[in-house]
Amino acid sequence: MALSTGKPSARRQGFELAMMSPALFLLALITLVPFFSIIWMSFNDVSLMGGLAFEFSGLDNWKRVFTDPDIRSSWLISLVYFLATVGLEMVIGTMMALLVYSLTRGSNIIISLLLIPMFIAPVIVGLLGRFMLDPSHGLYAWMLNETGLFDGNILGNVGSAMVAVILMDVWEWTPLVALIVLAGLTSVPEDVLEAAEMDGAKYAQKLIYIILPSISNILLVALLIRAMDAIRFFAIIFITTNGGPADSTKIIPIRLYDIAFRFFDLGYAAAVGITMLVFSIMVATAFTKLLKRQEKVS
Amino acid sequence: MTTSKRWIPLTFKVTLLTLLLVWTLIPIIWMVLSSFKPNSVITANTPRIFFTPTLEHYASLFSSGNSLWPYLLNSLFIAGVSTLIAVVLGCMAGFGLSRIRIRGKQHLAFWIISTRMAPIAAVIVPLYLLFRYLYLLDTHAGLIVAYLSFNLPFAIWLMTAFFDDLPPDLEEAAMIDGATKFQAFRYVVLPLMTPGLVTTAILCFIFAWNDYAFAQTFSGPSTQTIPIAAAQLLTQTGIDWGKLLAIGTIVVCPMAIAGLLVKRWLVQGLTLGAVK
Repeated sequence: MALSTGKPSARRQGFELAMMSPALFLLALITLVPFFSIIWMSFNDVSLMGGLAFEFSGLDNWKRVFTDPDIRSSWLISLVYFLATVGLEMVIGTMMALLVYSLTRGSNIIISLLLIPMFIAPVIVGLLGRFMLDPSHGLYAWMLNETGLFDGNILGNVGSAMVAVILMDVWEWTPLVALIVLAGLTSVPEDVLEAAEMDGAKYAQKLIYIILPSISNILLVALLIRAMDAIRFFAIIFITTNGGPADSTKIIPIRLYDIAFRFFDLGYAAAVGITMLVFSIMVATAFTKLLKRQEKVS
Repeated sequence: MTTSKRWIPLTFKVTLLTLLLVWTLIPIIWMVLSSFKPNSVITANTPRIFFTPTLEHYASLFSSGNSLWPYLLNSLFIAGVSTLIAVVLGCMAGFGLSRIRIRGKQHLAFWIISTRMAPIAAVIVPLYLLFRYLYLLDTHAGLIVAYLSFNLPFAIWLMTAFFDDLPPDLEEAAMIDGATKFQAFRYVVLPLMTPGLVTTAILCFIFAWNDYAFAQTFSGPSTQTIPIAAAQLLTQTGIDWGKLLAIGTIVVCPMAIAGLLVKRWLVQGLTLGAVK
């Protein structure tokens, strides 16, 4: 870390440095050591059987990452899962926020109720999903069955399982998008809206020409926050389908977990993990760029 | 209220909001409700709203041989300690980072945020190996370290954002009056930071309390947390739904209440300070 620059100001900032150093030292210890370990692991054959053993294997793991059809299909499933969850969350979340914002009273209690899912542990979201969709006594399964919409085992069929895990994620995280967008809506210029109304603008026109442009930055924040979490968490799928049926919901983190802790191929898992890290670093880059842009605006 | 707030026709608005509320709340209400149902009602072929409530599931969680107590205590201890460390160190570092003027500050900030965003599955792999070397598997310390890997950068980043909002004039005024930097921080700045500290602490606690992936990988018989208890019951054949829903209710309710307590600062917290 290039903290002490030797500039005269560095001495006078001794207090600030002292305040920062314990946290930064600890953070460096618990993130940089694993970071260099995962890189080293990705060039090794790491065996757990009968004690830990490293065997240098060059680029073997990396060759597999880019040629393994299972990995490719998992990235593809991740992409579908990612686009569907984040897309639905953005659309429904924005809608939710617009609705709550347009309320003249009761918005506080309604948004509080709508926010509850995002405090729920993903493992409990998965539990709830399984409970509601249980073929023999789940409420949603029963409703779908009674209305004749679907009468199979929802989590046991290829297409419906994917839809179900997507909707569970949407259920949990749409409120977060709504919360963020709602905060942004307060920055929509009221006077401009009123002027547009006087001129006879319809709701759709106001939405497209005034509201959405003035919250575009906020929407981007919501998108980035969701994008990073979409690849961070995997507990919902872990607990509901664990990637099945027939690998149809095996998003990349689930695949990685399988490689690491079912097949104990930790070196290969490390290489897969690094490709995921690259993705999250790209999101983080976009996020910090956006923050800087906001600072310039304000 | 100004006219511009009434953008959307009322009936349309009410219908949509009702739908969204129903979609959001039904699973939660159904879980809490069903946790008080006797097993015969839970497993009935048709859902029932009316029944004689029972506490049997909660009672069995805390009395039987495989009690929930150890899981609960592990969760409280591990989430509590990791939150405490993250908030104390994060508060100090946040103040420093907010006030310091150095070259490369952006790179430092980027490093902090990127550690928070690292995918959990990718972090688990090297941590598992390191924990094995260091005999940290199935220890409270191991899980605390694992949770610090995301809570510490989160706390630093968020506290920096909260300190950024506070103009340095106050400390400077105190220092003109003869206070040292530490005194200015301790007696002027810190008392104004209560909302920031509470928000950071509650969110850190929720993240740790809700974790499943780390606990699943690093915990053993003596360190399992509540989400693990739920997962264990879920993977058994012949799922005991009554018990599970009671666990679910216990996991969810305190966090939902804690989260809503800091609702005003939630946006700032969950967007890592990007939105106020």
